[in-house]
Amino acid sequence: MIVTVTLNPAYDHLLFLHGIDVGQLNRTHSTLQMPGGKGVNVASSLAILGEEVVATGFLGGQGSRIFEESLRKLGVTTNFLYTNKEIRTDFYVIEEEQNRQTLFVEEGATIELRYLNNFKSIFERLLSSARIIEIGGSLPQGVHPAFVKELIQLANKKKIPVVLNIQEQILKECMEGTSLFIVNPDLRGCETILGKNICEAGMIRQVARELTGKGAEIAILNSHSFEYTVASKDEVWEGEIESGPTPNKLGVRDSFLAGFIHNYLIMRNLGEALKYGLGVALSTARNKMNYPNSKKEAEELRLMAKVRKVG
Amino acid sequence: MKKVKDIMTRDLTSVTEDTPLKDVAEILSLRGVNGIPVVNMNNEVTGWISERDLITSIFPEKVKIENPDVVSFTNLSSVVKKLTQMGEAMVKDYLSKKYFPVTEELSAADVAELMLHNNLKRVPVVRNKRLVGVVERASLSHILLEEGSLE
Repeated sequence: MIVTVTLNPAYDHLLFLHGIDVGQLNRTHSTLQMPGGKGVNVASSLAILGEEVVATGFLGGQGSRIFEESLRKLGVTTNFLYTNKEIRTDFYVIEEEQNRQTLFVEEGATIELRYLNNFKSIFERLLSSARIIEIGGSLPQGVHPAFVKELIQLANKKKIPVVLNIQEQILKECMEGTSLFIVNPDLRGCETILGKNICEAGMIRQVARELTGKGAEIAILNSHSFEYTVASKDEVWEGEIESGPTPNKLGVRDSFLAGFIHNYLIMRNLGEALKYGLGVALSTARNKMNYPNSKKEAEELRLMAKVRKVG
Repeated sequence: MKKVKDIMTRDLTSVTEDTPLKDVAEILSLRGVNGIPVVNMNNEVTGWISERDLITSIFPEKVKIENPDVVSFTNLSSVVKKLTQMGEAMVKDYLSKKYFPVTEELSAADVAELMLHNNLKRVPVVRNKRLVGVVERASLSHILLEEGSLE
């Protein structure tokens, strides 16, 4: 089974409007609520693709039971640790006519030390039957990158491949002295990574190579929800897919990662996995939820993906 | 006929034998359940710990004369206070070694009979001894009634 770790999950609220009038009364024409957070999004997508997946992390408060129940309905097994604090709520304002999405993200509650120790125990138990660990998303207050590194080291001891789907700052700290299968830095709101300007032509390719040089088996970088670069020590691939208007990009990058993992575990081929990930990403963009419409649709859409070996 | 795998709750919430009882009380309270599986570090089920086991540990004299099922966590703070007084008592001293694991292939009717016969509200579901979920009486009765109406 695949285990996804989300230390700072969120209950995502999507508000759909034709257009927003700042400072005025705005009425939504529809709303949706769903479990969110990067690891949770990956878990949902993996379940839709037919993988046996366990989602773990911290939950707490009144929304937690509905949060878990929604995940289980998708086929995800849950193993969250409840704390005595409320989980965060994120708001996505989606203006369909403008093809625009605005995100409001809460910081998240503070996790007490005792919960960290209890979580480590849950994590170690899950390692006994995990074939891959994915750790995704931001960290709540009270949880430091050193804790994530400790989780990676526990997985390394058992030789279980680890996928990191997190912000650059946490990634940099976690890469030292650990062994990583896939790194997928969260570049939202970033212009630089590893001190390099990712807006410059060819720089993403260079950074991807650099990340594999730092010990990651595979590096995934995206400049856009539907444009990705993947690299191993031996090869670099780039790919994109024509998306059309997609105002709701919630979970698209995470579902790309889920699709990539799912396919790579079977095919062991970067180009094929890149194509598959793009199909899953587009199927997610066409769904109002943060996971693909279906495995069948994702597999049909991947035929539209254009991928090429660039190094 | 539906099987356990069709009706189980795919949740792995559990504790180990070294978990302090006060942590168990918190988990049961926050999750609103009456008992959870006890597992080892391989997630293999080794027992069950319930409200009843906790009450027995806190009020052993009361249990002798009353039905512990009627004692509930309406005043959690007093229970936690008593637990604190007991120090760091562990699950291993109070868990039930008599538990009723079922497999995913068992029929819903069979698990219903097992739960009714033994007055169980939740039972662990195992695959090769490893915990993969729980069956809850509430969801089971709902499914059985649904199937009954279909037939």
